Amino acid sequence: MSRKDTNVAKDLTDAEIEAIVAESIAAEAAMASAEAQPPSSAIVWWRTQMRARQEAAQLAERPITIVHALSIAAGIGLMLSVIGYAAAGVKGSLAWITGVWESTASLAAGLPLDLTGRWMSLTLTLTLVSVVIASVAAYVIYADE
Amino acid sequence: MADVTCLDVRRLHADVLDTDAADVALAMDEDAFRAFYDRTSRALWGYLSRTSGDRQVADDLLQECYYRLLKSRVAFESEAHRRNYLYRIATNLVRDARRGTRPLFAEGLDVSDLEAPQGQADVEQRADVRRAMGRLKPRERALLWLAYAQGSSHSEIAGVLGVKTASIKLLLFRARRKLASMLEARS
Repeated sequence: MSRKDTNVAKDLTDAEIEAIVAESIAAEAAMASAEAQPPSSAIVWWRTQMRARQEAAQLAERPITIVHALSIAAGIGLMLSVIGYAAAGVKGSLAWITGVWESTASLAAGLPLDLTGRWMSLTLTLTLVSVVIASVAAYVIYADE
Repeated sequence: MADVTCLDVRRLHADVLDTDAADVALAMDEDAFRAFYDRTSRALWGYLSRTSGDRQVADDLLQECYYRLLKSRVAFESEAHRRNYLYRIATNLVRDARRGTRPLFAEGLDVSDLEAPQGQADVEQRADVRRAMGRLKPRERALLWLAYAQGSSHSEIAGVLGVKTASIKLLLFRARRKLASMLEARS
């Protein structure tokens, strides 16, 4: 509050000040109420429902987006694997593959796990296939919903 | 038994989903909301327009207030509790709007652009009140409006503005003197 304001109001009692303020604001409130042109309650309710549904739909779409992303990533991985195998099949011969196999076996011989073993290869293959199948299944389930 | 086609099932499913979405999102039913809105919307618009100093802002924020109330998920104990919560939302929205890009509360804001009734003897006096209100701080405007336009108690005002109840008496005293001084100076 400025010094000027304080000086002007100093002669008035609190009751007088309160009366002035109360009267002024009550008149202003009556004016505001007369000016107000709020939309009808039916329109506000309808807009509110539309907005709530829109937000609910956006919320529901989020998990589907995640599943889409996972499926696309799995698909890309699968495609790269197929391309790799195809390229090897076109370029290589059985001798070349055997050479690679032997080289890998000799390199992996020093490892504690036998990654080139028959059972380990089978396990890795089954795991890869399970991941791909699970991703595709998840996509199909959520896409239907 | 009537045949149910695939289309019927899909339509029914869509209806159920729509109903669920509306029920999940909104805490009041339509009749209760419309009655509450009809009782409070004019007064709330007045609060928004006078505390923001901008009728356009009041128009914009009015519906947002009710939307947030419906989405609030608060278990209201009474009509007064719900109304106070609505005013708290309004106060926060006006504060947020003030922080935004639009300069709602420029110092010495002149609110004389608000329409004044034509042909009435007290037009000038009301314009003076609006100008004086425009020169108050936003919290002072809200305080005075809640106290004298809404008739809210100190504890209700404290709840709406987020200040201690014990502070309200002093804050109101200062705001009253400030407004009265500005009105006296003009008269």
